[in-house]
Amino acid sequence: MTEPDRIAIEAADVWPEDVEETEAVVVNWFAREGRRVEAGEPVCEIQIEKVSVDVPAPVAGELVAIECDEEEAFTRDDALGRIEPA
Amino acid sequence: MAQQEPQAIERDLTMSRAMVEAIGHEMRENDEVFYMGEDVADYGGIFDSTEGLLEEFGRDRVMDVPISETAYLGAAVGAAQRGMRPIAELMFVDFFGVAMDQIYNVMAKTAYMSGGSVAVPMVLTAAVGGTYNDAAQHSQTLYGTFAHLPGMKVVVPSTAYDAKGLMHNAIRDDDPVVYLFHKRLMGIGWMPAPDGPKTAVPEEPYVIPFGSADVKREGADVTVVTLGLHVHRAFEAAETLAEDGIDVEVIDLRSLVPLDTETILESIGKTGRLVVVDEDYLSFGVTGEIVATVAEERLAELEAVERVAVPDVPIPYARPMEDEVVPNVDDIEAAVRSVCS
Repeated sequence: MTEPDRIAIEAADVWPEDVEETEAVVVNWFAREGRRVEAGEPVCEIQIEKVSVDVPAPVAGELVAIECDEEEAFTRDDALGRIEPA
Repeated sequence: MAQQEPQAIERDLTMSRAMVEAIGHEMRENDEVFYMGEDVADYGGIFDSTEGLLEEFGRDRVMDVPISETAYLGAAVGAAQRGMRPIAELMFVDFFGVAMDQIYNVMAKTAYMSGGSVAVPMVLTAAVGGTYNDAAQHSQTLYGTFAHLPGMKVVVPSTAYDAKGLMHNAIRDDDPVVYLFHKRLMGIGWMPAPDGPKTAVPEEPYVIPFGSADVKREGADVTVVTLGLHVHRAFEAAETLAEDGIDVEVIDLRSLVPLDTETILESIGKTGRLVVVDEDYLSFGVTGEIVATVAEERLAELEAVERVAVPDVPIPYARPMEDEVVPNVDDIEAAVRSVCS
């Protein structure tokens, strides 16, 4: 169960438009759980069909959970992690 | 501005991003700093060494060049002689042969031959290393070649933290600096790095002085002197050896020129046993140099020595054969056990 005030980090907004692939892999996390992030700060890097894309923090706050670890696959609507807004 | 509490947890960066952050900072501070190389503008560097710089600084300061190493490295040397501070990237260190006259006769010797009146404040960056089956002309780790020839500083980072601090220092240095980064450590999606090179990196600029080796793991029994990728392989070996009660000290040289002999000798004074590990060829190289330096200075304290390096053969293309010649964790472990026996 997730608390409602926690905002999901999703890759849907940065998913390249010209790509049919629905699965991606997290390549690098740049923040660890407990870090305060700024809105827009790149929190992780994902790879879709060999294209690397940074995923920005949707809001400012504390990264409270990483739900998709490095080298793990995920799909467009999965939450990669959660931020508790400041 | 609102008072900000200091972050308890620093953000982590890959080695490539840490390098780019330092380059971007120096370019913002000093208009004379610019970057040139093959595929460094639109592509962002084939190993992500310039990712995002074109967007911020434009084509006058982030330049793609034709595939003519002599021409563009010569241009960089000329610009540096006139007071600019170029960073010129040699895509693979293996390509140095084409442009060696510009590198070692001009870049490295200008300060000396002009009686100190013409400096060459440039950085020559190049990707080194194998482990991904790119064959004999794209997999070498030629630290020793540049360190052997006088007139160049030679720098090799193993972590993102070191990469940033060493890059700031390289760009600010008034002498030519050869900055060699290992592809496997950059943190690129298609070439996963081992654990270790991605580290916490402060956002503000900081400098790591050349000639300051870093004791990255303290130990009492054996000194492993290494650099680049093999720092991380040495850690892994040290973990296994610790289970058997062998306490390994790992020294990351960070720069070959200048060489921090003090830190090595101090460690040998403690352990008496030396293993030198690198990914360059065995003969006439880094491993021999370190062993010779220690033997000259501390012969009486030296109980045992081993070298672990690439045998004197071209790097094979086939995966099992490349794995065989590039020193791995087991090779380091075996060498440490042999100096302890």
